[in-house]
Amino acid sequence: MFKPEILLVDDNPADLDLTSEVLARNERPKRVSSVMNGVEALGFLRHEGKYADTPDPDLILLDLNLPRKDGRAVLAEVKADPLLRRTPIVVFSTSQAEFDIMQSYNLGANSYVTKPGDLPEFVQAVESIENFWFGCARLPRKEEQ
Amino acid sequence: MIAGELIVEAEAQKLHAKGEKLSVLMVEDSVADTELIRSELEHGGFDLSSEVVQTAEEFARQVHSNSFHVVLADFNLPQWNGMEALELLRREGLDIPLILVSGALPDITAVDCIKQGAADYVLKDRLARLPSAIRSALQEKQLREERKRAEHELAQKVEELARSNRELEHFAYVASHDLQEPLRMVATYTQLLAERYRGKLDAQAEKYIHYAVDGAKRMQTLIQDLLAFSRVGRQDTTFAPVDCNLILHQALESLQLAIRESGAVLTYARLPEVMANSSQLLQVFSNLLANAIKFRGSDKPNIHISAERQAGEFAFSVRDNGIGIASENAQDVFVIFRRLHTRTEYPGNGIGLAICRKIVEQHGGKIWVTSREGRGSTFTFTLPVTEPVPAAQEKFKQEYVQA
Repeated sequence: MFKPEILLVDDNPADLDLTSEVLARNERPKRVSSVMNGVEALGFLRHEGKYADTPDPDLILLDLNLPRKDGRAVLAEVKADPLLRRTPIVVFSTSQAEFDIMQSYNLGANSYVTKPGDLPEFVQAVESIENFWFGCARLPRKEEQ
Repeated sequence: MIAGELIVEAEAQKLHAKGEKLSVLMVEDSVADTELIRSELEHGGFDLSSEVVQTAEEFARQVHSNSFHVVLADFNLPQWNGMEALELLRREGLDIPLILVSGALPDITAVDCIKQGAADYVLKDRLARLPSAIRSALQEKQLREERKRAEHELAQKVEELARSNRELEHFAYVASHDLQEPLRMVATYTQLLAERYRGKLDAQAEKYIHYAVDGAKRMQTLIQDLLAFSRVGRQDTTFAPVDCNLILHQALESLQLAIRESGAVLTYARLPEVMANSSQLLQVFSNLLANAIKFRGSDKPNIHISAERQAGEFAFSVRDNGIGIASENAQDVFVIFRRLHTRTEYPGNGIGLAICRKIVEQHGGKIWVTSREGRGSTFTFTLPVTEPVPAAQEKFKQEYVQA
């Protein structure tokens, strides 16, 4: 059975916890990994160093304001990389700024979701993302590693 | 720099005193002519100091080493001419008025010289005109300098404004992101806490959690509203012809729930077309209508929307039968964060009408309220009439059909 791999990229441990917790609530089996800055995110995706054996994620939840290399740069690099570009990226950020939304889509984000400031809404947002990408959308076939 | 300005000012004062000091650079090959010019200027009331040059090299050296009030140049010189002197001054960025003093020239050349930047053109057989030509050239230069100074100041102001706008933009971003994030942590984790320990906490603890979540959420809306307020007038606002009837319908649509719950009856007259930013205008209508419903008395809300043309503007009115406003508070309601009731009586944070006022003023209109406490309020705002005048102002009443 298909067991989706989800990569969370967020520098806020509280958000990582909350998102992981919400993802763990339903019965769909999945594996959730997390990294806390942009450099680590790219290292993870390119299997560099300690990430040599990490799986290729089926979905990336990407925060925008990250230390070292921010989410926009990660987005741009992934979407410019022929090996990585097909991996769906959902920008998941606190920002509601029009500018961030426009820029994210311009850089090739597959969708943009503002993190809701209310628990039930937050739960609903994460569940919607999961249900859409793993219950509704067809994902690209993964190359054998 | 300041010392330099003082010297310039002192020189200007000296110039205006009797026996105006005048330092002249003459481009002239005839000794007789230079003498004639000198005597004419002294006769004309100038306390003169002068240098005479004949070649371009001498001219360049002189304008660099001395500061002259004016250059008097002959048009026809053996090696070069007055127009080349003009060109050199321009190249060097020196603003010294140059007056051509020459023998007869075809008219076309004289006009050409002036076009190319000569301050004036005086014929050698009309030298009596030279003093007044010099005075007006100096005056023009002074005006030029003043204008340049004013332009410079304006450019500085524009730059300052742009910078402060950028800072505001950045502040808005910080507010929308960096302030929201910790708030989100407070709200969601307090809610998570409540969820985890449901049934294990006493009523008191539940109440405290409710207060904490409510506070964080209020802060979230407050930041949102503040952002909306600061956005008015900052973002590029495009104005286009807007059918106010459509805007009104959109506003009513968005208030469906409140209208249904309150049992409000809305009637409206036909509204005109205006030049406006449609989303901002929608916000004005929505805010006024939402208030008319919110601040209702014991009766069901009865709200009427109308527009009337008064001279060069349309006056839009939203009349309700709500609780009204005491006359001494009629101005206060448009001030940001000013509230007349506690949050438990009527929710809100006092930004809605402040946004309305900002939007209306940005459209070149005014907004005010007429009211009597307990007897309803009428909020009126004006918008300029745009030509061509919109079609017929026939008024008809129409019951707003509730879905």
